[in-house]
Amino acid sequence: MIRVDQLRKQFGTVTAVNGVSFTAENGAITGLLGPNGAGKTTTLRMLYAVMRPDTGSIKVDEVDAIADPHEAQGRLGVLPDGFGLYPRLTAREHLEYFGELHGISGAALRQRTKELLDLLDMNAIADRRTAGFSHGERTKVGLARALVHSPQNVLLDEPTNGLDVMSTRAVRTIVRRLKEEGRCVLFSSHVMQEVSALCDSIVVIAHGQVVARGTPDELRRHTGHDNLEDAFVALASADRGGRE
Amino acid sequence: MSIARSLRQIAIVIRKELKDSLRDRRALWSIVFSVSIGPIIIGFMMNRVADRQREAERVRVPVVGMQYAPALVDWLRQQSGVDVVEGPKNPEEAVRNQQEELAIIIPKDFARTFNQSKPVVVQIIADSSRNDARPIVERVRRLLQQYGAEIGSLRLIARGISPAASQPILLEDIEVSTAQQRAAQILTFIPMFIIMAGFVGGMQIATDSTAGERERGSLEPLLVNPAPRLVFVGGKWLAAALAAMASTALTTVLCANLPRFLPLEEMGIRFRIGPEHITGIIAAALPMCLFSAALQSAVATLARSFKEAQSYMGVLVLMPMIPGVLGALYPLGNAPWMYATPMLGPYVLLTNVLGGQTPAMNAFLISAGISIVTAAILVRITATLFESERIIFGR
Repeated sequence: MIRVDQLRKQFGTVTAVNGVSFTAENGAITGLLGPNGAGKTTTLRMLYAVMRPDTGSIKVDEVDAIADPHEAQGRLGVLPDGFGLYPRLTAREHLEYFGELHGISGAALRQRTKELLDLLDMNAIADRRTAGFSHGERTKVGLARALVHSPQNVLLDEPTNGLDVMSTRAVRTIVRRLKEEGRCVLFSSHVMQEVSALCDSIVVIAHGQVVARGTPDELRRHTGHDNLEDAFVALASADRGGRE
Repeated sequence: MSIARSLRQIAIVIRKELKDSLRDRRALWSIVFSVSIGPIIIGFMMNRVADRQREAERVRVPVVGMQYAPALVDWLRQQSGVDVVEGPKNPEEAVRNQQEELAIIIPKDFARTFNQSKPVVVQIIADSSRNDARPIVERVRRLLQQYGAEIGSLRLIARGISPAASQPILLEDIEVSTAQQRAAQILTFIPMFIIMAGFVGGMQIATDSTAGERERGSLEPLLVNPAPRLVFVGGKWLAAALAAMASTALTTVLCANLPRFLPLEEMGIRFRIGPEHITGIIAAALPMCLFSAALQSAVATLARSFKEAQSYMGVLVLMPMIPGVLGALYPLGNAPWMYATPMLGPYVLLTNVLGGQTPAMNAFLISAGISIVTAAILVRITATLFESERIIFGR
């Protein structure tokens, strides 16, 4: 479970995240929905402790992620936005490297690596260097690498961005599976269909603030729009109207 | 987060970085280049010295007018390493055109003037602007003076005067710049090459694992792993340092084996790097690898891009050359402060070790201590840089 309270982050004069609060439950997929530049990535970066919030608090399974970032990171599996791979390492070596850094080794690591390679249907590319991988293959490596230590909480920053239909479907399958296993999945996207199809709960972010939260149905009711896309546009622009 | 766990994680990072760089052709070539360039240049220069020595030993003396002074020509022929040949038609032209290095002209009236006990004018034609001909011309000049002195002595004896009376001063040349000395001069480059090998050997890993990792976008996912930044920076630094140490060791081994490939011994050039030298070289050079890798990691982390990091490395690589070049121009001596200066300390130590004078244990300890302390400070600074969002996300 992830609980975020009143997060704020400023870059110079720009306030990227301005008082974001939400909770992502276990056994549920929580969507972080917002247009580009709304503060989704910055919020996630603070969650997985590569950025420090100016104010606010983050709890990962009751661990204070600001006071004890490494303990929190151990409970998180993360696929960052625009992540990169090591072109000279194979897919398997990527999983092993991160697994070892998380303290898994030997037979347990081999077993877990095999599981993930099977799950993501990666056996054909497992022992190839990642230099020539397609975007879909790269995303699979990034995803498997994020899950190698079986984290309770999974943060995915726009994981389906630019993926073809097949790869998108593979990602969704994994995300649903993680939910069935009782894990907490936090999933950011700017694509409406994606979020409405997948998420149990949606947090809409615009201009660094949470403008709405609830189930897809609640959001439709709240805005008076049947179509979630219209609801989203209404929410994102309502905030701007309110501020100006 | 226990120390044992952090150490294990550092080992994991080191192993990954070394595996990664062993597959990196650019890294491998930079190591091959840095390791072999020194021994190749030294081998080349040693061969030049040997060639020169051989040249100076055998002298070709073109003589114009041999028939006028058969006794002098016979005497010259008896001297070791001298080939007397018939001189060219136009000796001045031949020397000017560099067809000959010199020519001797014996005048027609040699015998007549000689028999009157008057000085005969024998001309040596030489081009003093030609450096390579100078030792040969000198040698021939000395030979002719020697012949003159011998004849002069005989004439004095014939007149009942001791030849010693005509020599109020006896000059004796003691030549210090022997072939061995020239070889020793070449040896002064070895410390610089060993230090260069260490410096260049770790450079590719230091840049690729910091600036390169960020540019590929793999730094952010790496930092999501539960470890202090010092673990990542420390692992990357030690991987670069290990590569630098391997390069240093390989260069040392290649330099020590140079005599196998060059016929130096028979040319009287004494050149040997034995086990006793190798211990000293290792003690002097390996701690420096910790410093150079730390410096490179810090600079590459500060660079905004991989390209920028590489251009900084191009400037940094001049650093280990400074003591080498200064050392070749002025004798550096052994002031204590030198041991306490990074890069310079190891250089002075290496110079002493290879020169056959083992420095005091304290000198080694001070130099190693300074390398390790400055490396630790630089690694600490790099770890702090890794905490900075500006650095991680390359803003």
